[in-house]
This record gives sequence, structure tokens and C-alpha cells, in this order.
Amino acid sequence: MTAEGVDDSDLLRRMRLGDEGALEALYARYGGLLYTLALRIVGDRELAREVVQDTFLRSWDGRETYDAQRGRVPWWLMGIARNRAIDLLRSRSHQQRIRERATRPHGAHAAPADDLSDAVSERVTVVHALQALPDGQRMAIELAYYNGLTQTEIAEQLGQPLGTIKSRTREAMDRLRGLLTPALQLKGGPSA
Amino acid sequence: MTEDTDHVLDDLAAYALGSLEPAEHARIDRHVRVCVSCAGHLGEYRGVVGVLPVALAPVAPPAEVWAGLRAEVRARDTAAASTLRRWLPATGWLTAAALAAVLILWNLHLHAQLAHYSQGPQVEKLARRPARLIILTGTAAQPQASARVFAAVDGQSGHMAVTGLPILPPGRVYDLWFLPKTQTLTHNAATFNVDSEGRAWVVIRVPISLDDTRALIVTADPIGSSTPVGPPLLEAAHWR
Repeated sequence: MTAEGVDDSDLLRRMRLGDEGALEALYARYGGLLYTLALRIVGDRELAREVVQDTFLRSWDGRETYDAQRGRVPWWLMGIARNRAIDLLRSRSHQQRIRERATRPHGAHAAPADDLSDAVSERVTVVHALQALPDGQRMAIELAYYNGLTQTEIAEQLGQPLGTIKSRTREAMDRLRGLLTPALQLKGGPSA
Repeated sequence: MTEDTDHVLDDLAAYALGSLEPAEHARIDRHVRVCVSCAGHLGEYRGVVGVLPVALAPVAPPAEVWAGLRAEVRARDTAAASTLRRWLPATGWLTAAALAAVLILWNLHLHAQLAHYSQGPQVEKLARRPARLIILTGTAAQPQASARVFAAVDGQSGHMAVTGLPILPPGRVYDLWFLPKTQTLTHNAATFNVDSEGRAWVVIRVPISLDDTRALIVTADPIGSSTPVGPPLLEAAHWR
């Protein structure tokens, strides 16, 4: 059964009935995005692969617990992946691995390809919105989301007062919300 | 003023990004469960967080990721099925005897609880009957909570013992819901609050057959909700 055009919530419903094809469709839809996110956070292809596999296994095991009130299916998946990746990032063994590596892939905010697909169009919108932020605000967002740092840790790392970091974070998020909500119709709910 | 009436807008953005210390995170978590206004703002912030990774230059995952994932899912399903196949027929009367022993012990436990709660003859009568036992475990939102649902053999009523849930603010109650296998409609089985020790002893309705139910959940909702509003705090998807 093809999943093309099938709503995410329908895929979740099929997964609850044990339909492995629905999981495959969900993977085809979001596996690349989750792998990209995991790779950005952990900086290691093998660990990123582990994060993606673990995320979809958790979505399979936890398919009964997805709560549409808390946001769309991809946000739920990215939340799982991000938390798993941050856990790995903070683990002692990973810290050791990072010290042994001189470089890591860093794919954030590369120039968008000249493609008119919806996905690329969405990416252009988000990239431009992030580029519109002052450096300090963008850094606060990236350290929080991709590096998994708390506001206190960001303040320590940047040598700034905690209140400044909190203000920058909120201002950045408000600005992104203003730019992205009308463009991408960001609303909660289960739709794809 | 309390944290339930103070809005938490200053920290909502960091909360959505997962960038608060655990104590702060828990404070915001409690607030957004009861504040519609802040929950609305949070929904918008979650939308922003949800598209942040879209800005990353896409990297295709290796093909073996799906192969490994599929193999793992099939291994789990096979293991679960073979465990059932192996144990159910082979143990036959042993299983039935063990189940009966569990029910007897459970009934004894219920009687002890009944003595504590003194809920009257109706519950006591139910507790004396053979029934089906469903154990609900706490989700990530309330990992310390647990509950036992005891569905009477008449298939229409039962009761539930709950522990480990926090006292809710005015205007909110806990609901027990039955989620059918084949419909999206949910069925309310009980509405309750917990005592100062986080416990409750509740007489429930069994709105649909357990054989037609895929899950039982407990949520915290505004009074009078006809569907679950809050996230599942307790859940059970498997029972005998």
C-alpha cells in the first residue's frame, strides 16, 4: 500500500495496528531530516545512524503514546531524536570521541539548492529567517538546540549575564515565530 | 501569587528549546498544563523549534539504516509472538492456576485497601468477584504513578486503585479513558481526584469491551471534557 499523500496521523494509526509499511513510510518521509539533525548534533555518522534507528524504534514502541495536542508527528520525532542525540553528546564516551577528532561535519545553514520543491522552499524560508537574526540571538538558539546547553551553560560559555541570554533566546524565538508562522503556517496539531 | 497564576512567558522559548535546568523545566511544565494562554504560546514556539532542522543542509542516511530498523522491528514482533506461542499452550493449566492465584492475592489486597478507604458495600461486592486486571504504568510525564484497574466479570463495571499522581488545581480532574481499537472516539470510564497522598480509589464504568479496547489512559483535563485533553499520565496497552 502506497503512503504517498497519506496523512502522518493516518500512518500513526496504521502503526498502532502493527503495520510495518506505515513505519517504512514514516521513515521515508522523515528519516533524512532526522539523520541530518542527528549528524549536526553528534557529528558522527555512526552515532547519527544509531540515533535515527533508535528514534524510529521508540516511535514504534511508543506509537500508542503520541499526543497530537503537543504538535505534529515530525516535531514529535525530532524531539525524540534531539533528546537522544543530546544524551549521546553529553555521554562521557562521546566526549572522549570528540576529543580524538579534530573536525566534525557542520552542515548548518548552507546555501539552498536551486530547486522549487516544497521541501526546498521551506528550507529557504527557515534559512533566511535564521540569517535575519543578529549573531548573538542565532548563537543562543543554536547552542540551546543543537548543543543541548541550558541557558545557564550558554551564559557561562559566552561570558554573558544569564538575563541577557534569556532575553536573546526569547527575542530570537519571537522573531522566528513572526517570520515563520505566516510563511509555513506553523500550528500545532497532527497534520503533516 | 503562585506559579499557577504567574505566566511564564519569559522562559517559554527556552523551555520549547529544551534549554532550561530541570527544576525550571518542571516549573514551566506544571504551568502550561493549567494555563491555556501559555500553552498557546508554547504551541507556536514548538512550531518554530519543529522546523529548525529544516535549515540544515540535507544529508541522506545510509541505506542500511532502514534495513537495520526493519530487522529490529521484526525481531521484536517475532520474539513477542513466539513468547506467546511458547508459553500459552505449553503452560495451559499452570497459567490458569497462576492467574487465579494472582486474582486471589489481588482480591486480598483490594480488601485491605477497601478497609482503608471505606467506600461502602458496592466496591466490596465488586472486589469479591473474579475479574480482569489491567495494570497502568506512569508515562514519562508521571513515571512514579501507577494504577490497577479491576474490571468486574459482568463486563460493565469495575474499580481502580491509583497512586503517585499530584493533586490538581481547581477546575481540573483526572479522567480514565478507554481507546477503542477501531474508532477514534474515546470513552470516559471515570472522573476522579486524588487525596493528599496522591491516591484514589475509584468506581469505574467499563464503556466498551476490553477485547475491543486497544489502550486505557489517564489524563488530567478540564472538568467536563468529552475527550482527553492532557497527555497520557498513565497507560496500559496490554492485558489478559
